[in-house]
Amino acid sequence: MSSVLVVGAGPTGLAAARGLAKLGIKTILLEKDSELGGNPIKNHYHTLIPRKLKPSQVLGPYIREVQESKNVTLYLNTELVSCEGEVGNFKVGLSNGKTETVGAIVVATGFEHFDPKRKGELGYGLYPDVITNLELERMFSQEGKLYRPSNKQLPKRVAFVFCVGSRDRQLGVTNVHCCRYGCALSGLQGSEIREHYPDVDVFCYYMDVRTYGTWEYPFYWAPQEEYGVRYVRGRIAEITYSPADGRLRVKHEDTIVQRPAEVPMDLVVLVLGMEPSEGTKKVAKILGLKQDKDSRFLVPSDESGSNIVSNKEGIFIAGACKGPIDIESCLSEGEAAALEAAAVINTKVGV
Amino acid sequence: MAIHERSLVEQERILRKERLVVDGVDVSGDWNLIILPRVIEDYDLDFAKEVAESPDGKTITQCYQCSYCTASCPVHNYWDDRYNPRHFIYLARLGMVDELQKRADVIWRCVSCHKCTHRCPKGVLVEEVLKVILRAMAKRGLIEEYPSKKFDKFFTESVLEYGRIEDGELLLGWVEKQGYKLFKDPILKKPVPLIGDAPLWLKQLMLKPIKSMNVGFLMLNAKHMLFHPRTKNWNKFKQVLRKAMEEEGALK
Repeated sequence: MSSVLVVGAGPTGLAAARGLAKLGIKTILLEKDSELGGNPIKNHYHTLIPRKLKPSQVLGPYIREVQESKNVTLYLNTELVSCEGEVGNFKVGLSNGKTETVGAIVVATGFEHFDPKRKGELGYGLYPDVITNLELERMFSQEGKLYRPSNKQLPKRVAFVFCVGSRDRQLGVTNVHCCRYGCALSGLQGSEIREHYPDVDVFCYYMDVRTYGTWEYPFYWAPQEEYGVRYVRGRIAEITYSPADGRLRVKHEDTIVQRPAEVPMDLVVLVLGMEPSEGTKKVAKILGLKQDKDSRFLVPSDESGSNIVSNKEGIFIAGACKGPIDIESCLSEGEAAALEAAAVINTKVGV
Repeated sequence: MAIHERSLVEQERILRKERLVVDGVDVSGDWNLIILPRVIEDYDLDFAKEVAESPDGKTITQCYQCSYCTASCPVHNYWDDRYNPRHFIYLARLGMVDELQKRADVIWRCVSCHKCTHRCPKGVLVEEVLKVILRAMAKRGLIEEYPSKKFDKFFTESVLEYGRIEDGELLLGWVEKQGYKLFKDPILKKPVPLIGDAPLWLKQLMLKPIKSMNVGFLMLNAKHMLFHPRTKNWNKFKQVLRKAMEEEGALK
């Protein structure tokens, strides 16, 4: 019986591998890092949108089932290096020297967070109190408290700078898309700050707020109505530091008041965009997958109505390798890809 | 020194000194003029909190700046576009008090038609929120005694004294307070607006209902002008009300 290769063991890859294993299909799961779970685990996310669960609650059961399943062969610290053949008979070369034969491939290579050092005017790496939303998540999840890195004190004011590395043509056509999660996560982080530190004022600097669908209330209105997070319309153009009072200044135009502003802040959180991961770009090259000409994210085939089916028969693309997506949808797409892969290798599915 | 594009610079940002001495050096002349920048340097969050935390102002956090209120507002549409409920909400929410103060001359012009409140898709009690903003500004002395307040005071005094108003007294008394001279009959000292220096529009205004009213209603009005109507047992309640209002500082 033919087996399936799943590339990437983030939420999508885990969901795909778990699904395949449950169908009784031999599955090879590749992960370039040393642990399972992808970005949410590696970057120590604190609370996941939209269900406000911990990564261990959401991904824990998946990781456990994949690890315990006898159908899954797990290769950690391993990457895909070559692929020959066609559907039903792919010969894949791995970086650990092994060569495997698989009937279908699920690509779940995901995204990576934007590197804010590329936006020099925002002062990341220059001022210790300019941090990323990932670092804030880590503050919550690892250290359990909010502080200014410069002096370890509680900040009086926190600013969220939306769309860092998103919707930004200055970075090239690669970063013109929306990250989809930033607005909602900032609303959640702002609420968490206000909930635990009611004296800290939180400001969100936005161009527009995209908490789509059912996220509108819990991640946009609850922060304002229940927690008193303040929203200011205007993109932060520059972050400076005042030695006189040791505070940062966020420079922007308040586009509703139509006046320039340089407001003091103690902690500035950059809301990072999403880019296709290095792995996604590499795998696209190896497998000959179609990529969006601007963002380099993978795109599904035009012939199939499904957004899981790639331009190569027998290869399925799922999750954040196709563009920004939330974790719930990643899990669903992983499961959908498992189904497609199972159908391709024409296995009798036992109940 | 001349200011180029003078129309773009607000008066309050111009600092000009007749004589200016810096570190002992007389720099009067070309250097005696400074134009302050337009930059917003901080928010007045105490003001913002005062508005958002008052019971009738808390719906201010629900606003998403769609401007349904402003589009419906007769004051904005037919009088002065500087009166903009949506904008006042944004400014108050961030405590941009200087911006609010720039509109202090129009911000009290709400006619309480409540279209904004009835139509707001987010359930903001716009009219109430604006009153809270006014109150917070008045408390800090940021807003002058505005003309319509004269009417409010006259109205309040009348209600406090009698428990109810008398239409003729209220109208004519307010007209007098606006600075018009009205002829008064020599015996009762009541204003007679149909003769003398009363403005033409007032004469016409008074004449119209008199022509069309039935005799009974005319008599009732005349009676009310002579003997001010009064709510039953008002005196006891008046004392309580006046005391409560004094304690709240509402009679200032």
